[in-house]
Amino acid sequence: MPKTWTKAELRQLLKRKYGFDQFRPGQLPVIQDLLAGQDVLAVLPTGTGKSLIYQFVGTVLPGIVVVVSPLISLMQDQVARLNYQGEKAVAALTSQVDYGARLRLLGQLNRLKFLFVSPEMLGQPAVLSALRATPISLLVIDEAHCISTWGPDFRPDYRDLGHLRHQLGDPRTLMLTATATEQVQHDIVSLLAVPTAHRVIYSVDRPNIYLSVAQLESEAAKRERLRQLLTTVTGPSIVYFSSKRQTELITDWLQTETTLRVAAYHAGLTAEDRYKVQQQFMAGDLDVICATSAFGMGINKGDIRMVIHYHLPTTLADYVQEIGRAGRDGQQAVAVILYVPGDENLVRNLNALTAATPSEIEQSYQRYQAQPNRTVDSEMERVLTAYWQRGATVAAVTTQFANRQLAKERELQSLLQYVTTKDCRRALLLAHFKEQAPQHTASCCQLPGEPLPVKALGLDRAQDVKLAPPSGWEPTLAKLFLPNS
Amino acid sequence: MFTDYVLLMFTTAPRRAKAVFNVLRGRRTVSTLFAGLTYGCLDLLDGWHGVALDRFLVAADQLVKDELLTAPREGYLQLTPAGVRRQRELRQTRYWPTAWREFQTADVRRFTQVSRLALQVGSEAVHGQSRYYPVTTNPSIQIRVKKWFRPWAASELGPALYASLHAFLASLTVAQAEVFVRSLTGFEHPGQTDQQLATEQKRLPVEMLVMRKDLMCQWVRWLKAHPQDPLWPLLAPLVKTSAVSKSAQQTYAAFLQHGTLSEIATVRHLKLSTVREHLLEVAILTADFPFARLLSDAQCAQLATIFAADPNIADWQFSTAQAQAPDLDFFEFRLYQIMRCQHA
Ligand SMILES: [Zn+2]
Repeated sequence: MPKTWTKAELRQLLKRKYGFDQFRPGQLPVIQDLLAGQDVLAVLPTGTGKSLIYQFVGTVLPGIVVVVSPLISLMQDQVARLNYQGEKAVAALTSQVDYGARLRLLGQLNRLKFLFVSPEMLGQPAVLSALRATPISLLVIDEAHCISTWGPDFRPDYRDLGHLRHQLGDPRTLMLTATATEQVQHDIVSLLAVPTAHRVIYSVDRPNIYLSVAQLESEAAKRERLRQLLTTVTGPSIVYFSSKRQTELITDWLQTETTLRVAAYHAGLTAEDRYKVQQQFMAGDLDVICATSAFGMGINKGDIRMVIHYHLPTTLADYVQEIGRAGRDGQQAVAVILYVPGDENLVRNLNALTAATPSEIEQSYQRYQAQPNRTVDSEMERVLTAYWQRGATVAAVTTQFANRQLAKERELQSLLQYVTTKDCRRALLLAHFKEQAPQHTASCCQLPGEPLPVKALGLDRAQDVKLAPPSGWEPTLAKLFLPNS
Repeated sequence: MFTDYVLLMFTTAPRRAKAVFNVLRGRRTVSTLFAGLTYGCLDLLDGWHGVALDRFLVAADQLVKDELLTAPREGYLQLTPAGVRRQRELRQTRYWPTAWREFQTADVRRFTQVSRLALQVGSEAVHGQSRYYPVTTNPSIQIRVKKWFRPWAASELGPALYASLHAFLASLTVAQAEVFVRSLTGFEHPGQTDQQLATEQKRLPVEMLVMRKDLMCQWVRWLKAHPQDPLWPLLAPLVKTSAVSKSAQQTYAAFLQHGTLSEIATVRHLKLSTVREHLLEVAILTADFPFARLLSDAQCAQLATIFAADPNIADWQFSTAQAQAPDLDFFEFRLYQIMRCQHA
């Protein structure tokens, strides 16, 4: 019989172990369900402290918590965060860990409390058999919506998770995602074969984020508005771009045009520089990060006041995720899309990259038939091969790809509706997720023709701090290694 | 720009471009090593480890387009007159590494990772901090550093690290010391990125990359000379006794004991051709190879006569030698070339 925990006991433990007085919305019911032995699908908006849920459960239950996560950088961030909170019995098993270290890790699983692993790594026989010999307290599928994306964005490794879960002895499972439509929820539960999972679903609405769109005439006007926003609205801020090149160009431009402390962040940086930019931002050494959408998934900074999209996000679901990085401390924040008519073509071009024509699909199938074990050199070929390996027909795949492009176009249209609407943006956004919006107020969203109420929102920017010139190497070295200096 | 460093690898005499790039990428085939020896760039062996050959080829194409390099024949590149002028400017402005030779005899890249974490752990401990984001979550590096850190009392480790780093940094230029310290991660000091350091030092980001690799190499060299240093135990297991590969070293040891190459092949269970490759590797990478045991005085004299008019050793053709010395084999010919490079 599992021990039954009262709410009071859980709160005491929260206070003792993590120093919080209150659970955030959604955390408590999910934890209670899991402790009662239930599988749970939790749809919780970003910023609700999803990782606390499995940390908490891992602390209470014996055995190891296995977290399946889609991105190596995200896993490393999560390990670093647990390390930061004083949890040392934690490791990430990724392709970046060398073979010897991997074997050592697998030999000592019983010493670990948390193991982060990519889906493809979980499928490896050595990993699977080591895990089968270790009591698992909880299996966590992070970013669980990845299991349901199909067509060109198909993640074959995620598709196999239901099978792998069964091989692990059907452990208690927590499926986490920030935004999921009814269809995606259905896919997750059925593909993982957990039909009895409790669904805990919280609103995607973040009332403390003011929603704004600036429609502009030209690229130059867009830049100028960006400069104006960053120098008049309080930070720290994140500006999202659709390309690495743009993050660098605009970072350079802002560095010459303003006194703001700005850095670029994208997948092209070394791991060391990514770490440094993140930590500088966390420490308040930077006012602005110009980033591709990769930035922010793993960081936990409560006081981000503004998220600007210099280019359109790809979908409203992505948009909700990305702006969710603002105002996690519950204080007022603002989300702005800078839009020049025609920007949507950039999204269409990106979508086209994952499109394949019927003849390309047919050719891929022919190549697979001729040589099933050939090495695959493009991402598209990898996805298509995964379909062929699972016995899909050319006709079915062609239909799926065509449907996916149509669906992407529909998603883009919804996004454009949000950008160009004359009515309450929050109402439109929430309607997309089948939710009711609260009554529009002055602090809800920006209607056409209205100015951004920076002062009323309490977001006007204070004077820039005057920076001291950097000190020489000796004082810096002393500060690093000598106490009391 | 990365292309600047590619341009700096060429001269007015044609060089085999892929061979040059493979030296930088740390490919250790005998033909690559031999190219490194004849082009005088073995000091840079492995300096651009992990950079794809394609990236070099793209840079070289760009330099050809810019008319700084030209291809006298397929696969070869040399400087144009404009390239000579540009290279002269670059030599005066771009940071040029001085200690990259260390890549051959120590695992500098791993030491870079291990020492980054060690200095962070040390700095945070001095200030009584146990809550921080580690610079790496790689478990084998974490374990290594944990073991090193355990016996220390934080109150002693901090001053010891300060004294150690101070002694090393005082041996550098002020700019180098600044770059080294500002790029460190520790207590309330996330560290500057290459981009930020470049802005501060008025250099290019790629120069900061080159400089920081060079500083790590210089640090490794300094630590080798200071085995009492608190950080030495982290470096010690990463130091190799020789630039030569383990298996070539074993062949060489057998060579020093036994007579003929076929005897060595039997003892080492190797093909004769492999034994020869190993000995060529040793001859290229060490200073005191006993060439006289494999090349007779008469052979040397004959080859010296054949190539008396051609000072460019890299261009010698085996066929030229063979035409006049039919008994000569390629191994002996290559060995003689190496000897002449070594004793130039
Ligand atoms: Zn509204």
